[in-house]
Amino acid sequence: MLSALGLGWLVDASLPARRTLEGAVVGADLRLGHALRDGVDRELPRAAPERAEVVIVGSGVSGASAAWRLAASGVGAELLELEPFAGGTSAWGEDGVVAHPWGAHYLPVPEPTARAPLRLLAELGVLTGWDAAGRALYDETRLCHAPEERLFHRGRWHRGLESGDVLSAAEKDELARFHERMSVFSGAVGADGRPAFAIPCAESSRDAAWLALDELTMDAWLAREGFTTSYLRWYVEYATRDDFGADLTDVSAWAALHYFASRRQRTEQTLRGSRYLVWPEGNGRLVRHMLERSGARRRHRHVVLGVEATRTGVAVEALDATVGEAPVLRRIEARAAILAVPGFIAARIARGARGLIARPASPWLVANLHVTRPVEADRAWDSVLYEALGLGYVDAGHQRMGLSEQTVLTYFRAYGGAEMAATRGQLAARRWGELAADVLVDLAAAHPELGEQTSRLDCMVWGHAMPRPRPGFLRATTQPFEPAVLIADQVAWAHVDQTGLALFEEANTHGVRAAEAVLAQLGVAASDSWI
Amino acid sequence: MSDRRFVSPTLLACVVVIATSGIVYELVAGTLASYVLGDSVAQFSFVIGLYLFAMGIGSYLSKFIEHALLERFVEIELALAIVGGFSAPILFLMYTASGAFRATLYLVVLVIGALVGVEIPLLIRLLQFRLDLKELVARVLALDYVGALFASLLFPLLLVPRLGLQRTSMAFGILNALVALASTFLLPTAHEKKWRLRFSCAVTVAALSLGMVMFERFALRGEATFLGAPIAYATQSHYQRIVLTRSPRTTRLFLNGNLQFSSDDEHRYHEVLVHPAVAALGREPKSVLILGGGDGLGAREVLRYPNVERIVLVDLDPEVTKIFREVPVARELNRDSLHDARVTIKNEDAFGFLETCTDSFDLAVVDFPDPGNYAVGKLYTLSFYERLRERVGPRGVAIVQATSPYFARESFWTIAATIEAAGFRTLPLHVHVPSFGEWGFVLAGGEGMGAPRALALPRETLRFLSDDGLPGLFLFPRDMAPMPASVNRLNDQKLVSIYTSEWADWQR
Repeated sequence: MLSALGLGWLVDASLPARRTLEGAVVGADLRLGHALRDGVDRELPRAAPERAEVVIVGSGVSGASAAWRLAASGVGAELLELEPFAGGTSAWGEDGVVAHPWGAHYLPVPEPTARAPLRLLAELGVLTGWDAAGRALYDETRLCHAPEERLFHRGRWHRGLESGDVLSAAEKDELARFHERMSVFSGAVGADGRPAFAIPCAESSRDAAWLALDELTMDAWLAREGFTTSYLRWYVEYATRDDFGADLTDVSAWAALHYFASRRQRTEQTLRGSRYLVWPEGNGRLVRHMLERSGARRRHRHVVLGVEATRTGVAVEALDATVGEAPVLRRIEARAAILAVPGFIAARIARGARGLIARPASPWLVANLHVTRPVEADRAWDSVLYEALGLGYVDAGHQRMGLSEQTVLTYFRAYGGAEMAATRGQLAARRWGELAADVLVDLAAAHPELGEQTSRLDCMVWGHAMPRPRPGFLRATTQPFEPAVLIADQVAWAHVDQTGLALFEEANTHGVRAAEAVLAQLGVAASDSWI
Repeated sequence: MSDRRFVSPTLLACVVVIATSGIVYELVAGTLASYVLGDSVAQFSFVIGLYLFAMGIGSYLSKFIEHALLERFVEIELALAIVGGFSAPILFLMYTASGAFRATLYLVVLVIGALVGVEIPLLIRLLQFRLDLKELVARVLALDYVGALFASLLFPLLLVPRLGLQRTSMAFGILNALVALASTFLLPTAHEKKWRLRFSCAVTVAALSLGMVMFERFALRGEATFLGAPIAYATQSHYQRIVLTRSPRTTRLFLNGNLQFSSDDEHRYHEVLVHPAVAALGREPKSVLILGGGDGLGAREVLRYPNVERIVLVDLDPEVTKIFREVPVARELNRDSLHDARVTIKNEDAFGFLETCTDSFDLAVVDFPDPGNYAVGKLYTLSFYERLRERVGPRGVAIVQATSPYFARESFWTIAATIEAAGFRTLPLHVHVPSFGEWGFVLAGGEGMGAPRALALPRETLRFLSDDGLPGLFLFPRDMAPMPASVNRLNDQKLVSIYTSEWADWQR
């Protein structure tokens, strides 16, 4: 009786259909990005010249922060952005069931020294008030909901990154000793009265005894201090890759220790739980707010070719490569310009500028996986796989209140080795299918079924995602703590390359500082400094 | 031999019945296997595979039947009626009586499959002198498939909810035996043999009918340890596994295997959940918010107050509210509260609801499952209670289910501390619910809220609560007295780990 097959069909129909994976390599247009380096045809047609008050090159955190600060003093800005989207490495996507990050995806609650970020959070309503001791209080729905993170280690998930029960006694002891050491470092103060480790790092102690840590790699520091277990080394390297995209062997111990020892702030709210502020679109939420608040005009797919002084200020020359239109050259005259771009690009735009620092930059791969998977009540925001190639993934839908089968998972991989240029080349040559397979294979130990559950997997390759603070990076400039801001007349620079640590607080502070320098140049009566 | 082209409609109806019963037995086995063994995809897959394979064996074996085709056909139908008809009771018995459930399951599937496999080839051969092979195969197989569709639709929509598995399998056993009986009238055979066959049919029908009549007692023995009672309704929703069981005395609801209520004593729980809060409110509530409580039992209590104008009931799981709107035993329990015109049901997450809701309520009844995981745990955090407070305002009252202050003492006082931190004045209370043990609630209101002294209902309305009994609810003996507890926040959810470790200690 073949009719039993009818039942087979019924059951089959209730199973999730096998899908084919879709996706693309999105974002950063490599050819356009390299137009500045490779040369642009100066004989292209010219658009009618335009005027703006201040031109800001780049709409990442630094550029958006500068626009935000200028607007507060009544100065308008026009942002020129290479990519079709805003945000730089805090870019975000809004396709799919939930917005998701394409880069930086969380902000630890800032230290009191990070005054500009605190102001921003208050403006967003995320910072809701201050406790009796003058410490910031937050809207708790914005702090990462528990469980914050989980680690896949020896075949199963563990709550938190410290998989207690599978660690050997030696590994546990060492972890405890490391935490103890970091807590001592957190409270350490240099001879100059400044904390040994602070954020922004310009607030850190300049005491030579502490700065000497910049001469060591983190790898060497761990060896020197007798930290040898593979678990602890993995744990610390996870942090250096997460913050700086660097392996232990290619990162300054001084920079790496900032990850563990610069964030001291604990309030009743964060005493036992997460101190990460997270949004579905990651730090893109912060950028979006600043851009909206500033009201600045934004032009995308503009390659800025040069900035030159004029009688009344500056003239910015750009290639307008708007999709679907013939490329044109555009000249914008302004009273001042802010270059919110990495040092190596600022150097090409503003030839002969002073005090620019070009830093080596870590390449990253970010992927967004649009998945449908069974509801599970205890899923963490951040899922990390022990000794995987990448940093794992975060769930963009984690802060949603209801349970949903559909979400977007953002996978991150930092290429932390010393051979950055070679890696960049290899990544640029990799096609979508290969990158997607890399991602799925890296997560397969914990999620063999992920390919089946994913309907779309998009990848973004960041060739120059963030400056890498290699040992001695503080010596790269004569004044590591007071970086040059005005690099030419009426031209300011704002970028994390200035101090070398790619953290939101740094970028935000640099943007605000550059804006305030421009305000001073323009003779605009700025209110008190926001820094 | 009469007209070669004539096949009576009754005979064709028999083919449909045979096909339907075959699929029903298979579905019964598959469903039971997934109830008992879990992993329904695997269980259905195994059962179907084995069944089809056994059908193949049966079809092959049919070639060895050479004589007395009708007699063999009737005997096979009767065997099928007995094995298939009693399959559900047998399997239930095997589950409770011995560890051999899996072996019995596969044996039963194998036997039924083989019998079904012999059936159709035999029937075709019986009819081959009446129709061309072309016509015969076309008709018999077409009807066979119609029967399959019939069974697949009837089974989940009508049979399981109305009859339950056991009665379904026995009812189709009877149908099978009736087909056997009918075939002795419809198909040619020797006169004296006919009567012997008809007698066997009658005995089979009688045995199965007796089984149906004995069902209540039989089922009790067979299913007693299966979640405690026979299943009245079971389903897997997006969020949880829902099982409603019914024995002659009690109806129980289990979510993911955890008892939610037992009809024996749920009145204690639901009376204490609602009436002290109304008494503390000091006026009859006009607008009431019920969060969780998709069973409608809390709503039932609220509806005792004639001046209630509006109840908004928010329960995440549409399957739960559907069961309590549609399944007769569930509707009986909640006295059809979910059909009351004043009740609006919203199937959404309660936290999300509070974030978008702008209405205010006199009374909020918060009745979630215990904070055993982080998804439910969100509904026990400071942020949640802050939003709840905005909805009831300084003059409203909320009552929160807060797990057992005896088994999970720190959890209970953590919930109370968290509610207090959200700006409520709190009055913790507890009641003994025999199927749960000591159970606790937190009454939350504005500055002016005092301990209630008198119920706002006529005497004798309630089964458990009385004015005299009220003060006792608020007294906490030393072994569950207040203890220091910290506030439960979204970003730490310490309550989940406190709760799970406290309950784990009891289960050790």
